[in-house]
Amino acid sequence: MRFQIACAGALALALAGGGAQAHHSFAMFDLSKEVTVSGTVKQFQWTNPHAYIQLVAKDEQGRDVEWSMEMGAPMYLYARGWRPRTLRQGMRINVKLNPLRNGRPGGVVRDVTDSTGKPIGTNR
Amino acid sequence: MSLRSVAGLVAAAFVAIASPALAQDSAPAPLSAEARVEAFAKLPYWPGYWVSEQYQNTTIGGSAPARPAGSPPLQRLNGFNAPFNEEGKRQQAENARTRAGRRADGWGYPMMMDAATPFQVTITPEETVIINAYGESRHIYTDGRGFPPEEDLFPTVWGTSIGRWEGDTLVIETIQVQMPYTYFHGGPPFSEQAHYYERLRMEGDYLVLDFRVEDPVTLTEPWSATIRHVREAGYDRMMRMDFSNDRTGQEDGVNTIEPPADEPEGQ
Repeated sequence: MRFQIACAGALALALAGGGAQAHHSFAMFDLSKEVTVSGTVKQFQWTNPHAYIQLVAKDEQGRDVEWSMEMGAPMYLYARGWRPRTLRQGMRINVKLNPLRNGRPGGVVRDVTDSTGKPIGTNR
Repeated sequence: MSLRSVAGLVAAAFVAIASPALAQDSAPAPLSAEARVEAFAKLPYWPGYWVSEQYQNTTIGGSAPARPAGSPPLQRLNGFNAPFNEEGKRQQAENARTRAGRRADGWGYPMMMDAATPFQVTITPEETVIINAYGESRHIYTDGRGFPPEEDLFPTVWGTSIGRWEGDTLVIETIQVQMPYTYFHGGPPFSEQAHYYERLRMEGDYLVLDFRVEDPVTLTEPWSATIRHVREAGYDRMMRMDFSNDRTGQEDGVNTIEPPADEPEGQ
């Protein structure tokens, strides 16, 4: 476990140091945590300065919660094979993200897979 | 005297009053068509969507991928290790203190030359234009002109540049750059008195930038860095859009994500 924590810390440091977002720093996200949220796409915002996935997922009490999932600018998505209609309303997807530090349902997206677990676009 | 004549006299008087303050056009006369074709033929061609090596394969989250363990550190233009004097250190500390809650509309100069945002280089005999996907552009005049006279200078986010060709190397000088970190929180704290020198050229598949800055206000001595740019895969056109959906808010001095605005049509 200690090794895993150390790796997570190193990853967080690397991500923090390698932040590419020209728009704002990554300080708002907890880069030491990764969570995966599964839900239904409400909206895919192909916009500057960031793209966003609005995803509706169930919380622990079974209530619908809308997440605001921030991505890089569309230019970065485009280079990784994403397009403005890659996600459509109603699609079921899984999103791995670093959550917001303030506890609100949101975060910065790390990877996205479809309902079968197949990666959407490329990210490496 | 007709109304039109009176209007003409008034306009002429206005021009006569205003003319002494107008500066001369500093652009040389245009080349003839034949001379321009010849000039074009001597210039290099640097096609591609260039990003600095640090940011190759930027992820969908907007992060640079972690470099393999043991990779040598890459030089950056953020000036973290520049030889700052007391004023430079004070500015650096001020940026560190305030950057967490700030946001930017782009990179500005010099950081657009060390960025994840791809840029293209368009070379003509008269000028080289460097333009990135945020629409930030540098016009580097290579027609032999010097810098505008002092009365024409004003600081901007991207500065004022002139250049010349030494073989296939573009030699650039830039002045009148606004304090870079005030536009982009990751920028260096150089003053508006800074004078920037660059040499841009191809080395194999890399577009290499040798960068040097002299700033009597914030540096104890000139500072240099070399940035290598690579052609980023995945682009067949410039993905250019305006900033229509800025949802970055602020809470307790740190950014957060604001709720979405009204649903756009077509969803």
